[in-house]
Amino acid sequence: MGIGNQDETAFEFTGSWKEFAPIALTNAVLSIVTLSFYRFWAITRERQYLWSHSRFIDDHLEWTGTGVELFKGFLLALILFGGPWLILTFGVQALVLQGYTMAAGILGVLAFLLLIMLPGFAKFRALRFRLSRTHWHGIRGGSDDPGIGYAFQTVWRTVLGYIPLTLMIPWSMTTLWKKRWDAMSFGPHNFVSNPSWEKMLGRYVICALLAPLLVVAVAAVVALGASAMSASNPSPIAVGVSVVVFYAAFFIIPIAYYAAFFREGVDTLELSTLEFRFTARTKDWLILFLGHGGLGLLALLVAGLIAAPFIATTDFSKLGASDAQVLSQASIIGLAIAYLVPFSLVMPFIRYRNWRFFMRHMEAGGEIDLAALTQSTTRRAAEGEGLLDALDVGAF
Amino acid sequence: MEWPVWHYDGGNATRHDCTLVAGQDGFRLRDAPDPDRFYPWNAMVSVGHRNGTDLFAHRDLEGWRVIFPSGTPAELIPLLPKTKHYGGVIDRFGLWPAAAVLLALSVGLILVVLKIPEYLAPYVPMSWEKKLGDAMIGDFGGRICHGPGANKVLTDFQARLDPKGAKLDVSIVNIDMVNAVALPGGKIMLFEGLLKKADNPDEVAGVLGHEIGHVRNRDVAQALIRQFGLSAVIGGGNTGAMANALISYSYSREAEAAADDHAIGLLKAASISPDPTAAFFGKLAGQEKALGESAAALGYLSSHPLSASREKAFRDSADKTRAYKPVLSDAEWATLKAACDSDPNVKEGGLGLF
Repeated sequence: MGIGNQDETAFEFTGSWKEFAPIALTNAVLSIVTLSFYRFWAITRERQYLWSHSRFIDDHLEWTGTGVELFKGFLLALILFGGPWLILTFGVQALVLQGYTMAAGILGVLAFLLLIMLPGFAKFRALRFRLSRTHWHGIRGGSDDPGIGYAFQTVWRTVLGYIPLTLMIPWSMTTLWKKRWDAMSFGPHNFVSNPSWEKMLGRYVICALLAPLLVVAVAAVVALGASAMSASNPSPIAVGVSVVVFYAAFFIIPIAYYAAFFREGVDTLELSTLEFRFTARTKDWLILFLGHGGLGLLALLVAGLIAAPFIATTDFSKLGASDAQVLSQASIIGLAIAYLVPFSLVMPFIRYRNWRFFMRHMEAGGEIDLAALTQSTTRRAAEGEGLLDALDVGAF
Repeated sequence: MEWPVWHYDGGNATRHDCTLVAGQDGFRLRDAPDPDRFYPWNAMVSVGHRNGTDLFAHRDLEGWRVIFPSGTPAELIPLLPKTKHYGGVIDRFGLWPAAAVLLALSVGLILVVLKIPEYLAPYVPMSWEKKLGDAMIGDFGGRICHGPGANKVLTDFQARLDPKGAKLDVSIVNIDMVNAVALPGGKIMLFEGLLKKADNPDEVAGVLGHEIGHVRNRDVAQALIRQFGLSAVIGGGNTGAMANALISYSYSREAEAAADDHAIGLLKAASISPDPTAAFFGKLAGQEKALGESAAALGYLSSHPLSASREKAFRDSADKTRAYKPVLSDAEWATLKAACDSDPNVKEGGLGLF
């Protein structure tokens, strides 16, 4: 089967937010009334919709993960990581209080290393879990690598990436990308990726230098503006320009680098005779994030409107009083609703937009031999194994 | 009866255009790789639908799919499993009835978790709590002040303030914070900054009485159990974290008020004037914010918000007609204030944590 001709894209997202909205709405209701216990099933329903409305060549994807799997994974993650984590944090406190500063320091360093190790591990397991639950033409992906080696790789590569004034970050990011993807497979085929960190370095250096330079420039503009006005308050234009430049420095610049990194990662990714491409440029990522920001603002606005009557009736002069109930039970419930309802509704749409963005910009070319695309032989994480995959649900 | 279907056998990605030949108990797939195989209806699992097509999987065969390109035929609907919407139990009852029941269960669960520590805390043996306290705090890294005579003054102070109560482990810690804490195991720590800031031993009496109140009410054990229970039940997740924070907030207020009541009762019984404590709280009201932060560093430990209305509670308990006596003599007070400065062995400085 040949794909990737000029007229038709290999990947297409066929969903609509109007169809997705009832799913998001009912998920929000069920999550709130179950103290967020339902979230594992909510995520599952979201993914079933998103995957089944994503076409690859001639058929849609299928999400076969279940809420129970995510929940069990969450429990195991809680036990395996929450336990040592509690001991570590409480242990450090106890050691400091008892005067064992040295031991506390060592424990603290261990905690720090664990902190950079866990997200790497989670990222690997999440990718593995998602591939193993993604079916296309009845075939799924997966990996037989448990990801523990990868977790250690994350630690030293990340640390090394930061040491030379953070200049080796492109190296650590691209090599970790390669390690991660080369461990994954779909059907009988292994993914192969060869992103070049040397290619990323130029853009990274420009981005990394540009940020501080822009900040210095902003400071200069403000200072000049202030002295030109010969007053203590700088001109509104100078302030406006500096605010814009400041946000540009801390918002656009990392995106400019990440967009190039992601493109390089996907563009060098191959699966047997398939080659992938990612078409999103910095501008596209910016629009994505600005949209997320808009949704967030909308949620904040709604939250504010719901909260306003409760805040208005709260006597904050009594805050901190022990003998007066500052917040009535009704206010507490009102404020909780004000926060939960808008954000429970907005988050699914942010995930929806992320997935749509991803599907819209994914391209593939090459040939697929359907008869040779046989079922994956990777272990399909049964109960009790691979349960950490639930780190995927946002345990961090 | 026969219907055209698409079929993936799960072995490879080839799509087979087959004919589903239906019988009473199951069906066969003509033109499939395995045309003679019989599939019972009850082995089917509904795995979703989109744009008018319905997908069915086989319970035991990975990747095996049958797809009705134009929707499930009406004749087969009673034979095939229903599409899942929200999940098993919720589908059975319907969304809104299920949501109402779940809400009631959640509220009930929170109430149980909140109430249980009150009943449970008195049964936690003090010796366990003490062990926990020792393990966690020890001697505060050598920061406990043992200036000459200070220990005896502290013992007498406690005996005069709370003559009927069991003896508690009260100590002064060489940390420059205006605060005091009740720790697991009935340990009470007065921070050096508190003594420095106080002009009069009766001011400290109110604070000490408040801490004794926490110990007698088993607030520390309660807080430990409650925090543990809440995190276990609703740990993680947006709703959970939010509820957790709000609930522990509103509860610590109750405990604080009860501890203040206890302190006022002790002062009254011991004929110690509550006015200096009231004045002390007034004096510190401005530093509320800074104190709140340092108390937060100790997490679950009791914090002591200071405010005008707390000041008022103590002030209102004063009896103008009564002849109060100071809790400590001038000499004793001086010994206490110098407890840290006069102890050459005590460790200096704050803890890295604060």
